[in-house]
Amino acid sequence: MGRALSPEPVASDTRSAPAPAPRATRGRTKWWRSRTFDVVQFVGLSGGLVWLTVRGAEAMGYNWQWYRIPRYFWRVIDGELIWGPLMTGLAVTVELSIYAMILTLAIGLVTALLRMSDSISGQILAKVYLEAIRNTPMLVQLLVFYFVIAPVIGIDRFWTGVLCLGVFEGAFASEIIRAGINSVPRGQWEASASIGLSRLHTYRLVVLPQAVPLMLPPMTGVLINLIKHSAIVSVIAVFELTTEGRNIIAETFMSFEVWLTVAGVYLVITCSLSVLVGYLERRVARKD
Amino acid sequence: MNPYAKKRRLKPLDVVILSVVAGVVAFFAYKVNSVLAYEWDWGVIPRYLLRRDEDTGSVAPNLLVLGLVTTVRLAIWSLVLSAIVGAVMGVMRTSRRLFPRLLSRAYVELVRNTPPLVFIFVFYFFISSQIMPLLGVDALVTDASPVTATLIAWVASPPKLLENFIAGVICLSLFSGAYVTEIVRAGIQSIPRAQIEAGASIGLSRWKIMRLVVLPQALQRVIPPLAGQFIILIKDSSLVSLISIQELTFYALDIAVSTTRVFEVWIFVGALYFVICYACALAFDWLERRGRAYH
Repeated sequence: MGRALSPEPVASDTRSAPAPAPRATRGRTKWWRSRTFDVVQFVGLSGGLVWLTVRGAEAMGYNWQWYRIPRYFWRVIDGELIWGPLMTGLAVTVELSIYAMILTLAIGLVTALLRMSDSISGQILAKVYLEAIRNTPMLVQLLVFYFVIAPVIGIDRFWTGVLCLGVFEGAFASEIIRAGINSVPRGQWEASASIGLSRLHTYRLVVLPQAVPLMLPPMTGVLINLIKHSAIVSVIAVFELTTEGRNIIAETFMSFEVWLTVAGVYLVITCSLSVLVGYLERRVARKD
Repeated sequence: MNPYAKKRRLKPLDVVILSVVAGVVAFFAYKVNSVLAYEWDWGVIPRYLLRRDEDTGSVAPNLLVLGLVTTVRLAIWSLVLSAIVGAVMGVMRTSRRLFPRLLSRAYVELVRNTPPLVFIFVFYFFISSQIMPLLGVDALVTDASPVTATLIAWVASPPKLLENFIAGVICLSLFSGAYVTEIVRAGIQSIPRAQIEAGASIGLSRWKIMRLVVLPQALQRVIPPLAGQFIILIKDSSLVSLISIQELTFYALDIAVSTTRVFEVWIFVGALYFVICYACALAFDWLERRGRAYH
């Protein structure tokens, strides 16, 4: 049903591409077939797009002021380092994401256990929660949390953001945890029952040591999604990276520079975490 | 908690869960009614769903219905456009040449690694300042005959808001195009290699293998995840309310502020999105099962 937020990363190569047909010029590839030329083409095209954007903006009377951006990261005044709004915003984003990740794991674990439990009401509760999260937009969830739930339980904007992100990602985490636990073969459960392990011991000694390594790569994926989705709490004016970016734009009108910088910061964080996911996945694959 | 144990009876755990749920509901009811002293007025919802036309006295759709219709139109147009983007990029993603692969990979990674919100803001500024003047939508709208204008109003949005609407569609479809690219790539790569080899052995060119052998089969496999993408688009379209595109969430924010019936509006709008998306999910599931039964 296409409910996963992002398709599973699959090795990206051309295994199913047609096999190379024997050519008359075999042995000596033409220069326009070489990989270097492909890279040159790519760099040329990207460069052209960037140039068009820059010139297009200039033609519309846009004044590029990239030199003003660094001071929003940090400044050194009299040998003293002062963090700019983008860095403090980034710190809030990270803080938000860490708290939300803890909540995500807790909610995910409880939901997964409820779904696998033998209690009917637990299963129904988990199912209702999962469907509600999957079938409503995140922005609407955030606004419901901000306007309806936050005033009732009396929490501030930061914790509303944490709660909303945790509840949202918890639905995805629970599926990962469930899949991880279910991937442990039935024989393992039966074997631990037959040697007289209690339920707690079965989980601690047999199931979890096998399930957790499997869960690690997709859980890091959840963390990446969490950092990405934390941008949305700028709507309720939590002072994280995106909000700081919007404030700078409101003051300086440098929309292009600031948005591109903010996007770049997110890209750096999520891409480096993606590399970590790739590493973890390879490690899991090697063990099998 | 052993997943393989199956017994159906009311367990102690059920009692705990039911009492926790009851406790939470009671807490909310107490807080809202006694502490916040909120006065419920659900009458605001029907008033904003339908209104009575002043001139003719007939019933006309009001903001919430108009917003919902715009949301659905946004999702449909973005699905069509992102299917085109995704098909082209997906084929490039499986190309033998490095250049098209680099290009589509860069696109997919760029989109998937930026927050949706930031992506939409960046592209909105870019599209509204650079692409819109190029397209000349303004001129098209002002020159349109009444017939064309009604047609535009039916399939897209009121001509006054057309430029805005198109900007939203482009933003959304560039965003969802990256996910469709991956769907298409998975579809193409799911075709067994033997099919391609068979095509090559009867002397088809590479392009013909793609067109006659791979794509017809891949398309069939791509349709279920594409239907799922439609649901995702309905949900993601709420984001474009932040760039002032007047769909359901935009109007909901508007109504909640102007009427101060905050609880009613947000509970209703959340439920509305849920009903639509869940109904779509059930319908697509049913169609998929039926389709599979025929094969």
